Amino acid sequence: MLDANLDSRAATLNARYRNHAAVQVLRHALSDPDLGRVALVSSFGAESVVLLHMLSVASPDTPVLFIDTEMLFPETLDYQREIAARLPLTDVRVIRASEDEIAAVDPDGTLHQRDTDSCCNVRKVVPLERALSGFDAWITGRKRFQGGERKQLEFFEPEPPFRLRVNPLAHWRPEDIIDYMDENALPRHPLVARGYPSIGCAPCTSPVKPGEDPRSGRWRGSAKTECGIHFIGGRIVRGPVAPEPQPEPEVARVAPVAHLHVVTPVMERPAASKDNEMTTADLTQASTSAVPQADAPVLVRDDGFHPLEGQPDVSLPSDTDPDTLADHLNAAMIAVEFPAMTDGRGFTLARLLRELGYKGRIRATGSLIADQYAMARRVGIDEVQIPAALARRQPADQWLARADWREWDHRSRLAG
Amino acid sequence: MLDATNDDGRAYLQHRAQQFRAQVARRLDGSLTEEEFRPLRLMNGVYLQLHAYMLRVAIPYGTISPNQIRGLADIADRWDRGYGHFTTRQNIQFNWAKLVDIPDMLDALADVGLHAIQTSGNTVRNVTTDAFAGAAADEIEDPRPWAELLRFWSTDHAEFQFLPRKFKIAISGGKRDRAVIAAHDIGLRLRRQDGRLGFQVWIGGGLGRTPMIGKVVREFLPAEDLLPYVEGILAAYNLSGRRDNKYKARLKITVAERGLDVLREEIEEEFQRRRAVFRGHDEELLARLRDRFAAPVFREVDETGFHAARAASGAFRSWIDTNLSEHRVPGYASVTVTLKAPGAVPGDCTAAQMRLIAELAERHAHGDIRIAHDQNIVLPHVPKSELPALYAALREAGLATANAGHITDIISCPGMDFCTLATARSVPIAQELADYVRARDLDDEIGKFDVRISGCINACGHHHLGHVGILGLDRAGVENYQITLGGDGYEMPAIGERAGAGFPYDQVVPAIGRLIDAYLEVRESPEERFIDALRRLGPAPFKAALYPAEASHA
Repeated sequence: MLDANLDSRAATLNARYRNHAAVQVLRHALSDPDLGRVALVSSFGAESVVLLHMLSVASPDTPVLFIDTEMLFPETLDYQREIAARLPLTDVRVIRASEDEIAAVDPDGTLHQRDTDSCCNVRKVVPLERALSGFDAWITGRKRFQGGERKQLEFFEPEPPFRLRVNPLAHWRPEDIIDYMDENALPRHPLVARGYPSIGCAPCTSPVKPGEDPRSGRWRGSAKTECGIHFIGGRIVRGPVAPEPQPEPEVARVAPVAHLHVVTPVMERPAASKDNEMTTADLTQASTSAVPQADAPVLVRDDGFHPLEGQPDVSLPSDTDPDTLADHLNAAMIAVEFPAMTDGRGFTLARLLRELGYKGRIRATGSLIADQYAMARRVGIDEVQIPAALARRQPADQWLARADWREWDHRSRLAG
Repeated sequence: MLDATNDDGRAYLQHRAQQFRAQVARRLDGSLTEEEFRPLRLMNGVYLQLHAYMLRVAIPYGTISPNQIRGLADIADRWDRGYGHFTTRQNIQFNWAKLVDIPDMLDALADVGLHAIQTSGNTVRNVTTDAFAGAAADEIEDPRPWAELLRFWSTDHAEFQFLPRKFKIAISGGKRDRAVIAAHDIGLRLRRQDGRLGFQVWIGGGLGRTPMIGKVVREFLPAEDLLPYVEGILAAYNLSGRRDNKYKARLKITVAERGLDVLREEIEEEFQRRRAVFRGHDEELLARLRDRFAAPVFREVDETGFHAARAASGAFRSWIDTNLSEHRVPGYASVTVTLKAPGAVPGDCTAAQMRLIAELAERHAHGDIRIAHDQNIVLPHVPKSELPALYAALREAGLATANAGHITDIISCPGMDFCTLATARSVPIAQELADYVRARDLDDEIGKFDVRISGCINACGHHHLGHVGILGLDRAGVENYQITLGGDGYEMPAIGERAGAGFPYDQVVPAIGRLIDAYLEVRESPEERFIDALRRLGPAPFKAALYPAEASHA
């Protein structure tokens, strides 16, 4: 059990790691039972690559949460893809607000002009808080030299009511960052060379002149200096944070959304089959934030929910005569029907299609549930179409939990 | 591999336990409906029973290590009422589990390399085999490497988790079948033909409400083709097994309705396609498994003390005459520890008994323990020099009942005392019948006599295969017991035939008593077993004993 008292936990950990360098803090902290479950939150900004690289060496399985506010510079998205492809991180998750949330507060994308706090809140603070809900601690790249609120940073900080923040780079100086990037030949964010030493969303980030504070380009012209994610539990509380009574938020809460739907594993494990390799590019372009709208069905793939697209050339009922399968081998897409979750005939039909050499797309339709997703993938089904009601009851994270279908596939290991 | 000898195996079992923990949580938070949760809990061995949830744990191919059986003892103490119940399919059932505890129980099982995966549900169940595997004198080869290969292959097999109905595979390596091959969906008998190892493949056997003896679908399947051929059978069954009526959904009905030849053709065709998919990794694994199941290093045994003890003690002599089986190595024997002592519930085993067996196996029997389908425990490798000490320790614990294979060694399901499906009590019948025989001191006199009792038509007590089978039914709210004669699960697979009208509860034991008297009357010699006399004479004299009034009117 973790010590419920955050302050004493932070103090214990700070004492334990007082004389450690950043890399040791990171490495030890990740296996320290006093820390619990940990994620790294990264903006893939100007200096993010340092921590991402350290993590990829120390513990590449650690979840990395990337918040795509959908207001980012295209260069940031490119850079995120480049780094995700280059470092062997295995659990990069793209976090976004849902379409419902955005539609409720910022339907035309101009909220940042009227109320930057609300915009940060809906696009960044709330989605992150939701994504962090299963973690006991998160790792940030904040440093003391960044000044302002950050001058007193420790390695471990309490974040009431439940979490700790870990700041392995707290004591680093700007030259340490540069050295680390040089020594490890890490790619630079393209905007740094164009005068952006600190990079947030496109509308609220401007270049910095020589001699200015590096963060002065953020929310220039306003008193705002932090987006809010680093304040949760501190002085400012925004968004749905804790089950305990909280002070009334300064900003109107966004409409609560019943489920989390965009936790996206971006990269496959290196051992994954080439045929099914998923690249970051596929994912950032995929509309993984497809929230079931009204009664529209949803497609489930390894990266989460997608709106329905494409039309099967043929739809095979579960009592299809296997001798007729060979008639469909030229179809671009075949639907295999599952009239009930307990009717497993479709699994064999899909397997037979693949055995016959069918190379097109196979879509499962009907009544499969999240717990059967891995079975569907293993027999050669590419995607599962589910009704909106099921997508609401079993949100994307429950399907993504079985996107590990290549793991523990005993039969495939035996077949070779 | 899915066992504790292997980190990968343990990690998988932990992963599955974690998955089930999440499924329970998702049931509680409404993500899963009860209807969706049901097949998921079943494929993890969790039944809803009369009093509580029941967790059915697999003892894969009946082989269990001392540490594993200690793990079961700990679970029985911590989460059950200090005992477990061994079933006829090499499983152990804990009848008093709480749903919220089951994830913890699964974790505890994973710690010792055990699991409850696919012990229920419409999927490939625990693969069973001969409890004397690796020890029996008549063995062609130890079937357990193949049993383990099948377990590894079938576990979480994506294609076959939602079959029309449950699917049972048994494999047997002896010249004499001790795994009831003919009563399984697939039965595999190891064969050697022209120097090649392979299987005689049976399909479509099963008990339940429509008992059927399986049929040979292939006389000889080369051993290396096992997995693709079994997949061919399952693929054909998955597509053509009936899903409109659960009582007609087993493979035996598919075979009966579609015909063995039609199915054989489909199986062979699919087998050829699947054979192209399997590229020899299964063979590599099998080679490793053979190493893992290699026999212990047997030693030279000095039998002097054994013979002295045998001469000195009648009780010891009686026990070894009854409870020992021939071992393939001179100086060794296999010992059956029956869980059928006077007053015992057939198959029930207390935590203390489990721990004692673990200790005795380590001290006297190369640390190898088996759970037999007749609800007994077998120590397969016992040097005869250890037998006197082993016997003494067992006797002190009340585990040295000399009745293996006798009329008091009754196979019984839990019956209506526990099971929601049951329509009649079965355990009390077993106890009263054993008491009756003992009161008349006839146990040794009668000799080998196979009695099996099921408390409902689902036939978990395998009553069809008993020389005498007893089936408890519910007739208009009153327990009524049908008696079948002539079943055999061993040398000549046969389904027993119903003798006549059923008996009310209190008339069952007296009826069997008359049957015993008739047998003792007509047998040619003490060596002629009941089943032999029945085969020689036909059922008439025994039916007459069961129904004296009808006989006198005839």
